[in-house]
Amino acid sequence: MAVLAGCGSGGTTGDVISMNSSSCGGTWQDSAPGWHTFELYNANTVGGEVDLTDPATGGVYAEVTGFGPGTTRPVSLDVGSGTYAFRCLFEEQDPMTGPAVTVPGHAAGEAAIAPVTYNDLVGPDKLYQAYVERGLTSLAGQTVALDGDVRRGDLIAARRDWLTAHLTYETLGAAYDAFGDFDDEIDGRADALGVSNPKWTGFYRVEYGLWHGQGARELRPYTEGLASAVAALLKSWPQTEIPLIDIGLRTHEILENALEFQLTGHDDYGSGTTLKTVLANIAGTRELLSLLRPLLASRYPALPSVYSSLGQLQSLVQASQDTAVPALPQRTSQAIDAACGQVLQELAPIASITEPRNT
Amino acid sequence: MPGNSGAATPPAPGRRSFLRGLAGGVAGGVAAGAATGYGLHSPGTDPAAQANAALAEGRLPAVPFHGAVQAGILPDPPLATAVVSLDTTADGLGGLRDLFQTITDRARFLTAGGTPPAVGIGGPALDSGVLGPAVVPDGLVVTFGIGASLFDGRYGLALARPAGLTAMRPFPNDDLDPAQCDGDLILQLSAGHPDTVVHALRDIAMNTRGGMQVNWRIDGFSSPARPAGTVPRNLMGFMDGISNPPATESDDLLWARAPSWAAGGSYLVVRLIRMLVEFWDRVDVTEQEQMFGRRRSSGYLLDNDTSLDATPDFAADPTGEVIPLNSHIRMANPRTPQTASSRILRRAWNYDRGTDQVGDLDMGLIFTCYQQDIRRQFEAVQTRLVDEPLVDYISPFGGGYFLALPGVRDSSDWYGRALLG
Repeated sequence: MAVLAGCGSGGTTGDVISMNSSSCGGTWQDSAPGWHTFELYNANTVGGEVDLTDPATGGVYAEVTGFGPGTTRPVSLDVGSGTYAFRCLFEEQDPMTGPAVTVPGHAAGEAAIAPVTYNDLVGPDKLYQAYVERGLTSLAGQTVALDGDVRRGDLIAARRDWLTAHLTYETLGAAYDAFGDFDDEIDGRADALGVSNPKWTGFYRVEYGLWHGQGARELRPYTEGLASAVAALLKSWPQTEIPLIDIGLRTHEILENALEFQLTGHDDYGSGTTLKTVLANIAGTRELLSLLRPLLASRYPALPSVYSSLGQLQSLVQASQDTAVPALPQRTSQAIDAACGQVLQELAPIASITEPRNT
Repeated sequence: MPGNSGAATPPAPGRRSFLRGLAGGVAGGVAAGAATGYGLHSPGTDPAAQANAALAEGRLPAVPFHGAVQAGILPDPPLATAVVSLDTTADGLGGLRDLFQTITDRARFLTAGGTPPAVGIGGPALDSGVLGPAVVPDGLVVTFGIGASLFDGRYGLALARPAGLTAMRPFPNDDLDPAQCDGDLILQLSAGHPDTVVHALRDIAMNTRGGMQVNWRIDGFSSPARPAGTVPRNLMGFMDGISNPPATESDDLLWARAPSWAAGGSYLVVRLIRMLVEFWDRVDVTEQEQMFGRRRSSGYLLDNDTSLDATPDFAADPTGEVIPLNSHIRMANPRTPQTASSRILRRAWNYDRGTDQVGDLDMGLIFTCYQQDIRRQFEAVQTRLVDEPLVDYISPFGGGYFLALPGVRDSSDWYGRALLG
């Protein structure tokens, strides 16, 4: 049994609340709202997860995952007036909910967030799978067109069609991991290989050649290889699964990569189109957001701000999209980089909120 | 500092628009409860206990944040520092206000220390964790100022620019890199340890992503006085900043008189000065001492070895037999009635950032000085120093002119309120 004191002494040295195979938190009390640190002790012989929940709604205030037997973990929380109960999910055991504890008064504390389940994410995942399939279908035609340009020796058309195809690929950012080795083959950087290594293939290799005076004969193997890699990827796609956790994770990771590789100009192999790539990345991020929107609307009150920050970034990038990053005036690149940093900061919580959880 | 309850109060997430994406969005209740909840129930609100705990782990106690002047100007500086020039990207005057208020909020929290709020399952942690689960103050002082470029057309402030605040002018011995000069804002973070400084910088950046971008930055350190009780040395081996004016002259030398909203502020000059230490180390110590006008080992004047505070008697040495006429201390401060009003408050740090293309060490001085009037003071001193013998061994390459804003007086005040409010 543990009694958590209220004001003042609650603090960072809370009393220990013990969990075991037959009891999830025993009896504990909290006499007043405020800032508390709960010291949770896993007295069970197995590991698991413990959530502090609102028993009325199932919302989660805080969670301890990977909770090893015999270990103590602190959980800090601004406790508001309301009802609290621990829920234990030990390995190989049925879920268990401890006694509901009411914290008196009318103080606002940290809000509980309804956990997102694996089931919740199946729908968005399927929709994303279909979105990627549509993208790959377009991409297959576009890379065939690019290869045709090069076959005919029309490098002006090839530059145009290269951009169209590359931007299509850049809208599919949440699937790159699922693409496996195809991603390297289709969109790999020269970094480790060097630009003259024949093993370097894909969009960037073709870009490098098209914008560095290489001839059609030299480039043809790469455009041909690109088209066939995309065709093979498209063919394999129906058998590929995108992990459910990816949908939420990628909502910020796509633009993390845009900041690291596109806004720095790192991935400019000659065309100077990295800002257009960022626009494609924004489109890909918007797709994820719209798929997750039904889950986020009630869980992430700052969602409207995410959209306005994303819109701000998009309009700044659009206004400069025909300029290569190094040629941007300093104030312009600062504005774009700041807007990207802002939207990333706001996108980041989505990964935590939409992480699939057991309930 | 009014009221101890602020000392360990976690910040109020969600209060400012730059915080929108953080806890403010996730936990709507936090924002509403922040004004009272944390303050009433935060742990460890006893400042004396906090200070003792801090000292026990080798950290400095908190320096009070609130005051008529900023806390980092007058006292001897702590050992670690970061000087960061930033450009604003905030949208319009409202955005600029938000930015200054957010910086104020973060500085208030970081200098007091406390426990960052938890976010449950609602997002990544709101604190980098660099200082552990609780933020220790470690003597952190935040000095915040503005540059002339803030007064361009973007915020409708053009007419408010103080006449004495301009871009830094080049001097004859300078080799300025525009990429390391000036900026809309200057933020200096100083504390007992480098991790405290880095933590503060990351915290402020995390909370102001959309509002400003780093323009240039440099990290520095101040050396412990060796021997103890003297003055810290620069990387040329000489004590730096021995003859600062006394606090009693601050009203005449330090605090800005114009414009009226700048009362309590002070004009700040930052100069980034590379020292060619390999070349310098190949110079005879006697010649080095002639260039400075002081002894390297003791810091004493060449004409007086009684005390570091002794005043040189230039009148008794009209031809520079003892202290050469072109020595640094004699050119910088001739100690005449006419030059008394040009004295400055020096605050210098050493920097050390790698090597150059010939393998020489890239190190030198982050020279900063505070004054009432940059023309009358820093520029007059620097003009007297043109072509001093020391210029062969140093190369000023960056810096800028700024106005360190008036202090934040209390929990409802914010940086620049007199200008922007």
